[in-house]
Amino acid sequence: MIVRMARLRIAGPRPRLDEVLGAVQDSGLLHLDRPHAPYAPPPDRQLMRERGHVERCLVDIETALDRLAVARSRRPLAELPTLTRDTVRRARRLRREADRLAHARTRLEDERVLLLRYREFFQAFESLVGHELTWPDGQAFYVVLRAGAGTALAELRRSLETAVSGEVELLHRELSSGEWAVLILVSERAAPRVSALLAASRVEELPAPAGLGHTNLLRALPALRARLASIPDELSGLDEDRRSLSDAEGPWLAAARARLRDHLLLLDARRRVLAAEHLFIIEGWLPEARVADLESSLQARFGPEVVTSTLGGEEWSAPDTPVTLHNPPIFRPFEVVTRTLPLPKYGTIDPTPFVAVFFPAFFGLMLGDVGYGLMLAALAWLLHAKSAPGSQLRAISTVGLACASSSVAFGLLFGEFFGSLGHAVGLTPVFDRESATMPFLGLSIAIGAVHITLGLVLAGLNLWHRGHKREAMGRGVTLTMLFLTALALLAAVEVLPSRLFSPFAIAVLVAFPILVALEGIVAVIELLSTFGHILSYARIMALGTASLMLAVVANEMVGAMGSVIVGSLFALLFHLVNFAIGLFSPTIHALRLHYVEFFGHFFSPGGAEYRPLGHWHPTS
Amino acid sequence: MEIALLGLAAALAISIPAIATAWAQSRIGPAAAASLAEKPELSTTAIILIAIPETMVILGFVVAVLILLRTGG
Repeated sequence: MIVRMARLRIAGPRPRLDEVLGAVQDSGLLHLDRPHAPYAPPPDRQLMRERGHVERCLVDIETALDRLAVARSRRPLAELPTLTRDTVRRARRLRREADRLAHARTRLEDERVLLLRYREFFQAFESLVGHELTWPDGQAFYVVLRAGAGTALAELRRSLETAVSGEVELLHRELSSGEWAVLILVSERAAPRVSALLAASRVEELPAPAGLGHTNLLRALPALRARLASIPDELSGLDEDRRSLSDAEGPWLAAARARLRDHLLLLDARRRVLAAEHLFIIEGWLPEARVADLESSLQARFGPEVVTSTLGGEEWSAPDTPVTLHNPPIFRPFEVVTRTLPLPKYGTIDPTPFVAVFFPAFFGLMLGDVGYGLMLAALAWLLHAKSAPGSQLRAISTVGLACASSSVAFGLLFGEFFGSLGHAVGLTPVFDRESATMPFLGLSIAIGAVHITLGLVLAGLNLWHRGHKREAMGRGVTLTMLFLTALALLAAVEVLPSRLFSPFAIAVLVAFPILVALEGIVAVIELLSTFGHILSYARIMALGTASLMLAVVANEMVGAMGSVIVGSLFALLFHLVNFAIGLFSPTIHALRLHYVEFFGHFFSPGGAEYRPLGHWHPTS
Repeated sequence: MEIALLGLAAALAISIPAIATAWAQSRIGPAAAASLAEKPELSTTAIILIAIPETMVILGFVVAVLILLRTGG
């Protein structure tokens, strides 16, 4: 249900504004709403400047927290720092230090990755080093050709032979990456020509990594090995520095973040307060049951200096009122279904209790199998055990358990255990939906009629309560016409005495112009769509029968495959597929029956969420 | 002959809506996926939009069952 809200006004002397706002923030109850004023005050530049300072300092703090990997759950200092020059300087210094450590680590990681990539090339060339002495005064070129460049290698060899015949030697080795490490040894005389040829062919020599002090690859190898060996120690050193900085400054940073986040919330709250030179007025919403709590806490802290008063309904309009839902614990998990839609408007109906009753019922009617129900219960129980209390997953697991219970209950009613195996385990169907297809269809449509009737009743009551009496009467006439039509149909098929058909039909014809007079010609279309909505519940029978038939087919596979083992394996696989379909399809269609058919009659989305001013929390 | 025709009618009653549903969902599915990539909060609307064409095949199934019941099958 939607919690009843009250609009509270707090007035007091301007110098006490910050303290009062602080007290309101401590209470965590008031959803601030700017008081209606005949004029719009100019933007407070001082406030905007202060916000800018806080945001900049907060960026420094949160970056430092991120770089130092301080856990979000880290307990802040008991004493929260205030926004002083020292706080700003300390935050900036810590951010710089954290940045320096993070950048140094990134640089080392990059260097290691690069050197590791080079290492294989070096090792390949190292194994070819003995050949470097063919021309003691000559020159070596180190080239890496991309993977699959076998033809290019042959072409390079041919070009080199043509250019500097007899004064060049080409050695190569394939790398694990598929690339080719190529060592070209040439005499001193031929070196310039080879260099020019390589440049013209756009074959680049592999340079030694920067910072090793050697341009020649092979001579750089010992330095590279030493560098690679030293990097892990340097990384550990940086990690140690980061850990000590995090241990030493983490609590202060967490406390500063909490303080500044709170401060930002207060600055935002100030924009929703009416403050003049001597007086301030704060207005906002809170649950009606909590008004006394806030009033007494303000009274105790500020005495007669601060005055509170509850505004009457004539001073505010329902569309502005924020909405919060409060349902009994048994219904609360089903808010996960209604919360996928926007919140209902204040003063309308929260459909959660109805969803809690009908959603599992529809699901159970469609799946309706003890075996599948138990499998779903096991899954839901597992999810329940793995999820945190109060989390969305916990709510989903509870809904799953409700649906599983409903499936088991309807499974017992239908005598189904993995389809037709119900008889084998001694289940006796009270209602055999395999043979009673038509009664099941009738039952589905009757359930639809009940559900839609409930929707229309809720819509009528809500409209009447909100003062829309004409529309409320329109819903009443629609409902009456539905009943009369149903009775006329029952008389037509002689379930009721056939002589009643004419009176019912005449009553429908009489009600028709009344409906048009009350709600206009659109009401005709709505009436027809309401009939369509009721027929739409036939999907309960269709999906239920389809699920049963698939289970029956799975069971028949055991005897149809020639081998009992192969047949059983196929049957098991088919049951698993049917179970997956049985989870997905009934969920989607039970949701659709609620969102489209049921909610369509009374649900008014568009309520603003109740967000009281409170203290910032790492999970908020 | 009449039974064969009724069987054919039942097959058509489910197969034509099935093709129509498949065609509608093939158009809605990619559009819904694209919308969800940009606005994940539209997931409920996407589910409803994908489920709406299924009504055709579900009602087709109901009609097929009714026809088959007439054949006594």
